[in-house]
Amino acid sequence: MAFPSLVPTSRSFESGDYPVKTFKAQNGKEHRILYGSNRTNMKLSLSYANITDANAELFLDHYDEVQGTFQTFIIGGLEESRGGWKGNKDAIGAGSHGNNYRYEGPPQVAQVRPGISTVTVNLIGVL
Amino acid sequence: MAKVYTGRDGVLQQGGTTLAKVVNFQLSSNLETLETTTLNENIRSYVPGVAGYSGSATLLYYKDDSGIINTTNVLNKLYKTGTDGVSSSDTVELTFRWIDGADNNDIKLTAYITSASIGAATGDIVRAEIAFQGTGALSTVTIS
Repeated sequence: MAFPSLVPTSRSFESGDYPVKTFKAQNGKEHRILYGSNRTNMKLSLSYANITDANAELFLDHYDEVQGTFQTFIIGGLEESRGGWKGNKDAIGAGSHGNNYRYEGPPQVAQVRPGISTVTVNLIGVL
Repeated sequence: MAKVYTGRDGVLQQGGTTLAKVVNFQLSSNLETLETTTLNENIRSYVPGVAGYSGSATLLYYKDDSGIINTTNVLNKLYKTGTDGVSSSDTVELTFRWIDGADNNDIKLTAYITSASIGAATGDIVRAEIAFQGTGALSTVTIS
């Protein structure tokens, strides 16, 4: 089962960083060592407001299928999660840097009214 | 036959009994709407949320020939002694009726009285003003 192909109602994206270690010398000068060539640790937060409970269930099912925060998965090929973004699709993705996403935590489901819920999922890009 | 309704056609009942000396009443229904607009859309869209009913009424404080005061069963939902406050049984059955000859156009609901005020002013008739919040579904709707 793939990550649900729904267009979110809000989305926030943090682009992560390259694995850099920073040292500060006694004279105050900063030294940085680059440990890898791939950017990682992207954070993608998707919110799906007022969707049907059937659609909300898709996220719970997918979370269960990937064994919670254990397995990684790809959502980079889906247009829906990036719906509304007019820039380069790679810019808010993780795949172009060799990352896959995994759940950072369980999907949060808030019941709004009978049959309608709001779901928030937080994903993190890992190598 | 064509007809417009006026204040003379309006009746407010509480528990099936017509309240005397009602000056005005108002009943409002409202629907909460839940936005479903997604990031790739330019026009807002909604699904229906929860509907509810509320309103207000003004009554002249009036004692009839048998000594019954018209506002008693409404005001006593809030004006009461003791420390128990308002309980879930302190509801009123209100019927809003517009009379057309032998036909009644009714809206009936169960409500909590959420505010009640009464006062006195020199040269003015004593009035009781109430506001109510409907609870649950309407039990009768014969208005169209």
